[in-house]
Amino acid sequence: MSFHARNIHVSYGHHQALAGVSLHAKAGEVTAIVGPNGSGKSTLLGAMTATLPYEGEVSLNGRSVAGQKPWELAAQRAVLPQASKLAFPFTVIEVVQIGLHAGTAGAQTDVPMHALARVGLSHYAHRNFQDLSGGEAQRVMLARVLAQVWAPVQAGTPRWLLLDEPVSSLDIAHQLQVIDIARDFAARGGGVIAVMHDLNLTALFADKVAILAAGKCLAVGTPTEVLQDDILSRTYGCTLRVCAPPGDERPYILPHAASA
Amino acid sequence: MVAISQTGLPPKTRYAKVRSLHWVLICALVVCAGLSLQIGATDVQFTTILFKAASGQVLSPAEQVVFFDIRLPRLVMGCLVGAALAVSGAAMQGLFRNPLADPGIVGVGAGAGLGAIVAIVLGACLPLWIQEVTGNQLVPVAAFLAGWGSTLLLYRVSTRNGRTSVATMLLAGIALGALAGAISGILVYVADDRQLRDLTFWGLGSLAGASWAKIVAAGPMIFLSIAVASYLGRGLNGLALGEATAEHIGIDVQRLKSIAILTVAGATGAAVAVSGGIGFIGIVVPHLLRLATGPDHRTLLINAALVGAILLILADVIARVVIAPAELPIGIVTAVLGAPVFLWILLKRRGLVEL
Repeated sequence: MSFHARNIHVSYGHHQALAGVSLHAKAGEVTAIVGPNGSGKSTLLGAMTATLPYEGEVSLNGRSVAGQKPWELAAQRAVLPQASKLAFPFTVIEVVQIGLHAGTAGAQTDVPMHALARVGLSHYAHRNFQDLSGGEAQRVMLARVLAQVWAPVQAGTPRWLLLDEPVSSLDIAHQLQVIDIARDFAARGGGVIAVMHDLNLTALFADKVAILAAGKCLAVGTPTEVLQDDILSRTYGCTLRVCAPPGDERPYILPHAASA
Repeated sequence: MVAISQTGLPPKTRYAKVRSLHWVLICALVVCAGLSLQIGATDVQFTTILFKAASGQVLSPAEQVVFFDIRLPRLVMGCLVGAALAVSGAAMQGLFRNPLADPGIVGVGAGAGLGAIVAIVLGACLPLWIQEVTGNQLVPVAAFLAGWGSTLLLYRVSTRNGRTSVATMLLAGIALGALAGAISGILVYVADDRQLRDLTFWGLGSLAGASWAKIVAAGPMIFLSIAVASYLGRGLNGLALGEATAEHIGIDVQRLKSIAILTVAGATGAAVAVSGGIGFIGIVVPHLLRLATGPDHRTLLINAALVGAILLILADVIARVVIAPAELPIGIVTAVLGAPVFLWILLKRRGLVEL
């Protein structure tokens, strides 16, 4: 079972944001998409979630996404946007319950409370969502997304978490918590696709990394295969050193100089 | 993972508490309806009529006319119009994700106003068969058709490739409103004194023209719209998170928009057609309810219908008794009462006054 995007083209007016990108993500794995600002990472996620018009083919668990109803897709995958805004003063628990719209359970179950507990915010259940800090709001949104696909595998079919920069506004402890949640979701048979900026965290939690630059896919592979001095320096246009601590094959990246 | 013993039982949410509010509001509506039937310019009393009916006495002709032809249709129409305006306001605020959106935002108000003015000023110039078909209901019919038509036009203008942009709709609505205002201005310029007076009173709104014929014409449309709108709650809740997220959690956003816009145009168009321009109900009622019970549209929409009906009935009672035997246009009452309340809410929310 997989989430498969083939030969995706997306244009904003005359600007081509994606020029024939393919991505094959497997259930049970965490797939990370990295690349510089404006390289098309979020656009690729947008095409895979049918949020924006695209050319190409996206299939989810072997079925084409095009033509599936929103509620059919919502039962198979949940999407965490980069930033969330809320129009009315809903409480935290109400926001998480909204995510259950097409999910497995009605709003009367305890799934929303479990989801809030998973992100460490169950004591915030009755706070006004609009009063939260950016990082707290992001964690509540993660809880909403988790509640939507609470069981990683349903009726033998894996479900998917699509995360657009899930750790961007979080402190280091909560960054690690999100990574733990994503790894756990994949370990229990679900699939995770995450757009990432932090290369070290990516190396820590991704099974597969796709590097995008200027709307094209430069490299795909395991973190060790892909996170290499020359590939990264070429992608980002600056000098980066990839090191590996003794006894641990996972690479870590040191920024070195602003020019390549 | 955190053990569930630490999180305790799932908390009782506002939704569960608020659902019981229906019954409180229904009781309040019944009380206000009784009040509305009891009080009026003549001394016919609802209690007397109930007593006579219960003891098998025959009603006097005056009592029959006052009760069945004046007060009862007026009560029913007040309920319908108040509920329609309040539900439409709540639905539009959900759709535009803005607590200041008004039912008129989809062009109904501007279109209906223009339709009414055209009917009042140019009605006599219309072909005879149209005047025969509509009879003395030409103004409401024209207001409804023009209101509905302008919404359809706005909807077409702001829909591209099967997606409706609410931002475009808002801007195009302002343009269309200005155009309707200009055409109305021309007609006002050529109108005679009697027509000007009719125009002014239409714009202030009134339930004085309530009749069973109008209720039969507008009632089904309003009922249907409220019934449909009450099913939009979950979708509008999802929309509070933004259009993309609403789609991601399984809501057919485009279908939601179409249904919301068309039902609001139907309900508001029918309400404005039979009662003229009654302001403030569509903004104040949903706002009050959101403050009192939270923004959950699953309860907000239906409670708004009940509170809208209650408020408009009470406003109508005030409009009838305050300068009896004459009566005030109800739009004046809703604005005189609604505007200060609204300002007070706004200031209180911002912490500028301590009341």
